[in-house]
Amino acid sequence: MHAAASVRSVENALGILIPDNARIIRNLIEGIQYVQDHVIHFYHLHALDWVDVTSALKADPAKTAQLAQSISDWPNSSPDYFRTIKEKLDAFVRSGQLGPFANGYWGHPAYRLPPEANLMAVAHYLEALDWQRDVIRAHAILGGKNPHPQTYLVGGMAIPVDPNSEVALNADKLALLKRLFTKALQFVQQVYIPDLLAVASFYKDEWASIGEGLGNFLAYGDYPDRAGNFFLPSGVILNRDLSQVHPMDHQKVAEYVTHSWFQYAEGDQTSKHPWNGETVPNYTGPKPPYEYLNTDEKYSWIKAPRYDDQPMEVGPLARMLVAYASGHKRVKELVDGVLKQLGAGPEALFSTLGRTAARGVETLVVAEQLNAWVDELAENMARGDLQVHNGEKWDPATWPKEAQGWGWHEAPRGALGHWVHIVDGKIANYQCVVPSTWNASPRDAKGRPGAYEAALVGTPVADPERPVEILRTIHSFDPCMACAVHVLDPHGREVTRILLNDWTCP
Amino acid sequence: MAQKIVIDPITRIEGHLRIEARVEDGRVAEAWASSTMFRGFEIIMKGRDPREAWLMAQRI
Repeated sequence: MHAAASVRSVENALGILIPDNARIIRNLIEGIQYVQDHVIHFYHLHALDWVDVTSALKADPAKTAQLAQSISDWPNSSPDYFRTIKEKLDAFVRSGQLGPFANGYWGHPAYRLPPEANLMAVAHYLEALDWQRDVIRAHAILGGKNPHPQTYLVGGMAIPVDPNSEVALNADKLALLKRLFTKALQFVQQVYIPDLLAVASFYKDEWASIGEGLGNFLAYGDYPDRAGNFFLPSGVILNRDLSQVHPMDHQKVAEYVTHSWFQYAEGDQTSKHPWNGETVPNYTGPKPPYEYLNTDEKYSWIKAPRYDDQPMEVGPLARMLVAYASGHKRVKELVDGVLKQLGAGPEALFSTLGRTAARGVETLVVAEQLNAWVDELAENMARGDLQVHNGEKWDPATWPKEAQGWGWHEAPRGALGHWVHIVDGKIANYQCVVPSTWNASPRDAKGRPGAYEAALVGTPVADPERPVEILRTIHSFDPCMACAVHVLDPHGREVTRILLNDWTCP
Repeated sequence: MAQKIVIDPITRIEGHLRIEARVEDGRVAEAWASSTMFRGFEIIMKGRDPREAWLMAQRI
């Protein structure tokens, strides 16, 4: 999704307007990415913080079927189905090969679900694996492959739209997209949302008031319509005040490096807008292996971005709050519905569970929209509008000697910005401020914490050797450190190490 | 009694994240988030053609 922000930054610098078909194709690629990514996050990265897999072995398949049928019309809900899942899980455990279920804090007292709810969630964990592989074929159709769709282009898209061509986006391909998007929506409606509500109902008394964090929210907005209005609006919410949405201005973004392993020529107490940003590493931390970082000094490879000099949370919760407070009809309806079902007020949104619920609401809102965008594309094709690229300023000879641009995208994990400075047809400076840079930000020159740091304060830790509660809050943000630190290799998933020491507060 | 907890790396995320937390009376009193790997895409981009930036940025 960095492709989207990157092409927009160059288009913004050079004043390039993209054709309507390119706008729609980008919305489709980015929209199905939300749906796939959020479902993967819920089941494969976050659910096991709430779901005790080993408890599922104690479940009664018939009672599990009753539970599943009471909350959804999803067809895979018979006693036999859940018996098969239980046997599969049992075989995993007996073989000692836990696979994806290795390294959990199984049996931890903070787990609250009954065995039947755990078994249902494990079944859907496995179903979601197959589902996500299928629905993301939309990226192969629109972008050639997944991940990293290959059809982005400065000025539009590099995928032909032509009803008379076998190799272009034609009526057959649009029909296939609609089938995939319908399948995506059904799973969200019948599996993800009911599971989310079921899990939330067991945890709401505690976790709707833990992990609230900064209370400042930033959304750049995205999914433009033909007139340029965003389907998910932009805005800024300060101090949890939902009565006011402040307009967003990217010029107010600036990054500190006071507690980051970078240095600025003008000194490390200042903050810099990304157009003037500097990336000069300056590691001052301990030599590994070490026990603790010196958090009074520099302690992270992430800079500390601030908006109007305030720390911000970005992501689905920020987007849903901005949409809710801006009067987005469907978002308001769904958020109010979820709150009503859980018997909670809007203040419950400012929490670990609120963050996780907002991601579900957003998935549904976007999944509902996908086929409408396919229809827009079909209408353009029917009118004979087949343009996907604006090549007027492709040739660098048409560019000014110097230009600056900013490109944005509401990535699944939150507000993403790329800033580019072009001189003599080449990149003179390029800065990325990614969602996890905001959320995982270290302290700034004034000692103010970032979103994770603020959200963790007050989190209970029943057993310091198995801090599942900390994982709940951190995972609720859906961290993408690979993005935040800009490294290629996402591997290296060794067993989580916990260091414990008695420690006296200074 | 205060204890300092270190979780490094946090798993079931993309990438590498370290959390240090001071725990007092069963609750987190203060926390620090650290990314333990260097970023360098901004440096790679310098001097390149802006029209190909997206292809590299995508790999972030």
